[in-house]
Amino acid sequence: MRLPRLGYDNLGLGVGLRSTHFDYILKNQPEVDWFEVISENFIDSQGRPRYVLQQIAERYPVVMHGVSLSIGSTDPLDFEYLGKLKRLARETNAQWISDHLCWTGILGRNTHDLLPVPFTEATLRHVVERVRTLQDFLERPFVLENPSSYITFQDSTMDEWEFITRMAEEADCGLLLDVNNVYVSSFNHDMDPDQFIRSLPHERIVQFHLAGHANYTKYIIDTHDNHVVDPVWELYRTAHQLTGGVSTLLEWDANIPPFPVVHAEVLKAKRFMGEHLEPAAADPEPVLAASGEEGGHHEAVFHPLHQILAEVE
Amino acid sequence: MSERGAPRSLDVVQRWFQAVVTHPEGVEGGVESEEAQRLIRLNRSELEAVIGRSRNLTAAERMGIYANAYYARLLECLASFFPILQKALGEEVFEGFAFEYLQHYPSKSYTLDRLGESFARFLAETRPEPEQEEEPGAVGWPDFLIDLTLFEWNLNQVFDGPGVEGKPLLTAELLQSFPAERFAEARLVPVPCLRLLAFRFPINAYYTAARHAGEGEEAPIPDPTPEYVALTRRDFVVRRFPLTPAQHALLEKILAGAPVGEAIAAAAEISGLDDEALGAELQAWFRLWVAEGFFQSITSP
Repeated sequence: MRLPRLGYDNLGLGVGLRSTHFDYILKNQPEVDWFEVISENFIDSQGRPRYVLQQIAERYPVVMHGVSLSIGSTDPLDFEYLGKLKRLARETNAQWISDHLCWTGILGRNTHDLLPVPFTEATLRHVVERVRTLQDFLERPFVLENPSSYITFQDSTMDEWEFITRMAEEADCGLLLDVNNVYVSSFNHDMDPDQFIRSLPHERIVQFHLAGHANYTKYIIDTHDNHVVDPVWELYRTAHQLTGGVSTLLEWDANIPPFPVVHAEVLKAKRFMGEHLEPAAADPEPVLAASGEEGGHHEAVFHPLHQILAEVE
Repeated sequence: MSERGAPRSLDVVQRWFQAVVTHPEGVEGGVESEEAQRLIRLNRSELEAVIGRSRNLTAAERMGIYANAYYARLLECLASFFPILQKALGEEVFEGFAFEYLQHYPSKSYTLDRLGESFARFLAETRPEPEQEEEPGAVGWPDFLIDLTLFEWNLNQVFDGPGVEGKPLLTAELLQSFPAERFAEARLVPVPCLRLLAFRFPINAYYTAARHAGEGEEAPIPDPTPEYVALTRRDFVVRRFPLTPAQHALLEKILAGAPVGEAIAAAAEISGLDDEALGAELQAWFRLWVAEGFFQSITSP
């Protein structure tokens, strides 16, 4: 029998580390359970970002979350990049390393987007083989996240949850269940998010992601720029019950509020961990006008790779 | 080449998808581009043979989400690397240059931190020919943009590149205690974050003015005049130091690994000062540069 969370620790309620909060965190040492860092922001850094991460890793558990692995691409795996991931994981004692079930580019290019794969037997074999190679190389727990997506391929022969389940079983890897992404993709693809979550191998889920999104009525963009909405919290409640609780992380990547606001957002998760606790928080889903429509505005864009800007005197 | 209806390999699907969503003319232009057609031959009206539609959106509308996001995301990133260049050009013109740049130099790195590394080169490569009435080699507005781009790129590089925070540096005491008779043969070891820049316009001065300009205010574009600047980093913040031509000549030699005497000779040659005046200047320069952490150590041959 497999252990819950594959036996990895439940780190509690964590926050995605963003440079706008560096000073606050170093000064105030907030009582946060753990931090997740965007790997690509730090693997090459020889300046303040790396220094700040060292300070944080001394005090808090850290998990590394990447956006450029491109596990689904037919380009070769980039072992120079993987070597850098491995070194940073050693330096920060990262609990595990994660990335997305996606591809980011081909022919040597990087679109810096999390692009969807067709859910076929051929894709499954390709991804499973690469995850196995990767795990052997990293020598550290590796987990894959379901991305938000905006299209489906006609070539797909299975549902996303079936693909994820078979991938995790065959490659023997952990899963990062992004509850908001389930909601976003389910809305965009006319799927049932509850079925998505119920169909996954729950003992393989070692981490949750939560985030806000932008609802343009006909579709939803995963913008990470707002509070988590009620329907996503309800899915979180389900996921929590099904898994018995796993490390939970809030991502906030645009219009980032002060750190206490971000921290308070993830602490709302406590409300959904028991069956008889208070009902959903007061974050109904705001609906935005689509760009081009009357009263519409420039469509928000998802930034999977948060930038750290230079500090110049 | 895949024919319509034939099984498509993952490789073909990905090459096609990338060709479509990164096409400068959007999804329709992308689907009908030569590259996409070579991979999956279909008309724009047949897109749903590859991409499913949803209850609310057509396949083209759904692909459009990726296509719009591709340029929007990278343009935003470039703007954040080059905020003063964007101010100088205005948002629309900046976006036009950046859009062209992304087509010539698409990202090939796992990190966005390298996205702008060829922007100055691109501007130089696409620099318009000088007007007929201009003299050959005349410096103009395009050169200002190229220099400003180089400057902002270097600020980014110094910020996150190698530094000496927490490491010992050359102090005034150590320098003073160095035997005077061996000074000319000695070598000063610069910190790895020290960079020297030479511009055709007063870029550093413009950068300062543009940063301090209020909302809606514009810093005037300066007339061409040579400017020399040193960049370094202390306590993780990038510091800027305007240099005279003589200071630049001296530091350039030191960065090249030349002995101090040779570096001073280079400065003397262009300073126009007599030995006494230059000596006084040199003392002041070294005092400042040591205090600002330009050097790690001094070594004897």
